[in-house]
Amino acid sequence: MSRLGAVVVIAAAIFAVVLPFFLKPFGLYLISMWAVLTVAAIGLNLTLGYAGQVSLAQGAFVGIGAYTVGLLLPIGVPFPIAFVAAGLLCFVVGWILGYPALRVQHHYLAFVTLAFNTLVFLVLRNEEWLTGGTYGINGTPRPTLLGWSTNKPLDFYFLCLGAMVVLAAATWWMLRSPWGRAFVALRENPIRALSLGLDTRRYTLMAFAIGSSLGGLSGALYAPLVQFIEPNSFALGMSFNLLLMVIVGGGGYFFGPFLGALVAVLLPEWMRVTQDYYLMVYAALIMVMMAFCPSGLLGLVDRVGRRLRSGEQGPAAAAFEPQSTPP
Amino acid sequence: MLRAGLIASVLAAGLGLAAPALAQNTVYIPAILELSGPGAVSGTNFRDGMLLAIEEINAKGGILGKKIDTPILDTQSDAGISRAQIQKVIDNKPYVIIGPVYSGSVLVDMALAAQNEIPEIVGGEAAAITQKGNKYVFRTSFGQQFSMPKIANYIRDGVKAKTVSLLWVNNDFGKGGRDTFKKEMEKRNIKIVADISSESGQTDFSADVVKIKAANADAIFVYLNEEESARFLREAKKQGIKAPLIGETTLLGQKVIDLAQGAAEGVKGHVGLTVDAPVPAVKAFAERFKKKFNYVCDHNGIKGYTAVYFIKYVTEKMGKFDSKLFAQTLHGLTITPKEEPGVLMEATFDQNGDIDRESFLGQVVNGKQKIVEVLPKLGNSK
Repeated sequence: MSRLGAVVVIAAAIFAVVLPFFLKPFGLYLISMWAVLTVAAIGLNLTLGYAGQVSLAQGAFVGIGAYTVGLLLPIGVPFPIAFVAAGLLCFVVGWILGYPALRVQHHYLAFVTLAFNTLVFLVLRNEEWLTGGTYGINGTPRPTLLGWSTNKPLDFYFLCLGAMVVLAAATWWMLRSPWGRAFVALRENPIRALSLGLDTRRYTLMAFAIGSSLGGLSGALYAPLVQFIEPNSFALGMSFNLLLMVIVGGGGYFFGPFLGALVAVLLPEWMRVTQDYYLMVYAALIMVMMAFCPSGLLGLVDRVGRRLRSGEQGPAAAAFEPQSTPP
Repeated sequence: MLRAGLIASVLAAGLGLAAPALAQNTVYIPAILELSGPGAVSGTNFRDGMLLAIEEINAKGGILGKKIDTPILDTQSDAGISRAQIQKVIDNKPYVIIGPVYSGSVLVDMALAAQNEIPEIVGGEAAAITQKGNKYVFRTSFGQQFSMPKIANYIRDGVKAKTVSLLWVNNDFGKGGRDTFKKEMEKRNIKIVADISSESGQTDFSADVVKIKAANADAIFVYLNEEESARFLREAKKQGIKAPLIGETTLLGQKVIDLAQGAAEGVKGHVGLTVDAPVPAVKAFAERFKKKFNYVCDHNGIKGYTAVYFIKYVTEKMGKFDSKLFAQTLHGLTITPKEEPGVLMEATFDQNGDIDRESFLGQVVNGKQKIVEVLPKLGNSK
C-alpha cells in the first residue's frame, strides 16, 4: 500500500471511531448496518473478486447466520458461541455449495448459486417449526459481553465495527499468505495454476467456504441489529445488493467492499430528498457509475493513480486535481 | 480532538444523518408507508387518504392551531428498511407516527415506538399486532381475529357450506388470516378440504384452480393481495369454477374488480371498510378523493384518512400535545361522526388498540361492489 493509501485508511479509521459520537440513533443504525454488510461483502469479494467464482447466494448465508443466532440466543446460548456457530455452519454449507463450482463456471455457476439462495429462502419460510415461517423471529436481544451491554445503539455500533475490523484484518492476512496468491491464480488462469501443482479443487472449495462463513458472521450481527428477521430479507434482493457492493466498490480490491457497502447503504438515504423518485435516481446513478468505471470506484482511483505516476495527464486525471500531488 | 469532532459533526450534517430543526408552529406526525415493492398499492392508497385529511385539517388551521407536518418515508415493503425509517423519525421526537401497512413492518416498528412511548396508528391487520401487550399501537381496520369470525358466520349461515377450499398468500398477512380462519372453521364444524398456499406476486394460478376444482367444496375462500386476487379470479372464470367465491375486503375491492375485467362478477364476502358503504359521509369522502387523485379509493385510503382524524379528535379532547397521554386516552374511546365528522363511521378502540366498527356483507354486481347487509359493531352484538 502506498503512503497516500495508508494516510487515507488511517483517516477513515479515525473517522469511523469519532463520527458516531455525533450521530443520533438513526445515523448509528445506518453505520452499524454498513459495518455488518461490509463483512458479508468482504466474504463475497473473496469468492468473486479474488477467486473469480460468481456467487449469487451470499444473501442466503447472511440469512443462515442470522437465523442461527436468532434461534440460539433465546435458548440461552451465549452470543460468542452463537456467533462462531453461525460462521462454522456457513463454512460447512459453503464448502458443499462449492462442489458445483468444480464443474460449472461463470453464468452457469451464477444460476446454481441463485437456485441455492431460493432454496434457502423456501426452507426459512416453510419449515415453520424451526424458523417461525413468514412471521420471522422478533426481538433478538443484543448481547452483553464480559459485563459490557451492547443494548444502546452506540455500544452496538462499536461491537459491529470491532467485529468488522478483526474479520477484515484476518482476511488481509490470509490474502497475503500463499492462500491469497492461490485464489488469484485460480481466477486468472486455473489451468496454469493446476499445472504449477496447485490443488485447484481444494482452493475453489476453500474460497466458497471462507467467503460464505464471512456471510454467516455478518448475519450473526444482522439479527441483533435489526432485531427482526424474516425470510424475505434474505431472498435474492439481499444477494444482488451484496453483489452490487462488491462491484461498485471494485471487485478484487481489498477496500472495495468497504466503499461499496457505504454507497449501497447511504446513497438511497441521501437520495430521499428527491422524494418519490429516490429509487429511480439511485438506480440511474449506479448505472452511470458502472458505465464510467466498470472496475468499480477503487478501479477508477487505481487507473487515475497509474496514469499520474506514468506522467500522462489525461482528462480523467485532471478531474482529480486535488489528489494529484505525487506521493 | 475538538477539531476532529467539529469536522465530524459538519460532515454528519452534510451526510444527512443529522436531524433538521423543526418549526415551532407545526406538529410533527411522520408517516412510514409502503410506496414501492409489493405493498405499493396499499401504501399509496393509505398515503393519499392521509394527505387528503391533512390538507383539509391544515386548511382549517390545523390541530390546536398547529399545522400538521407529515414527511412520508418509503419502506420499500421491507421490514429492515422500515426499522431504519422509524428510528429516523423517532430521533426527531414525533407526536404520533402513522403507518406502516405491512404487518411484518408493523411488528418490528411498534416495539421501537413503544420503547420511546410514541403512539403508532397502523394499517396492519395481522392478529399478532394487538396480542403482544403493546400499549402504543392502534389499528385503523379490523384485525383478523375480528374479521374472520364474521366471515365464518357468513359461510355457515349465509352460504350454508359444509366444506370449504382455502387459497391464501404466503406472507405474514395471508398466513395470519389463514391460521385464524382455520380455527374459526373448526369451531363451526366446517371442513377445509383444500388448503392451498400461493406466492406473493404469483402470476399463474392455473395449478391452484385445478386443485380447488378437484376438491369440489361448497365454497371457496380467497385470501390474497390485490393483484393476485385479480389474476386468480380470471383463471377461476376460465376454468369455470361454479362454487361461490368468498373473500375478505380485498377480493371485493374496486381495484380487484377493475383488474379482473369482469371475472369478479358474483364474488361475495365480508367488507371491513369500503367507499361503497351505505354511509353518506363515506360516499362524500370517496368523491373528494376521486376528484383530487383521479382514481377510486380502496379500504386503505379510508384507513389513512381516518387515522389523521383520530389524531385530531384525541388531541383536541386532551387540549395539548402529549404522546403518552394520547395512548392512554385512545384506549377504550368511542369516536362518533357527530363529534368528529372526519372519522366517517363510529369507531371504538379497546384496551389492546383494536378497532371496532360496523362492517358489511357485499357482492360484486355489474362491475361494482354492492352492499347487501350491514353488520353491527362487535361490541353491540356480544
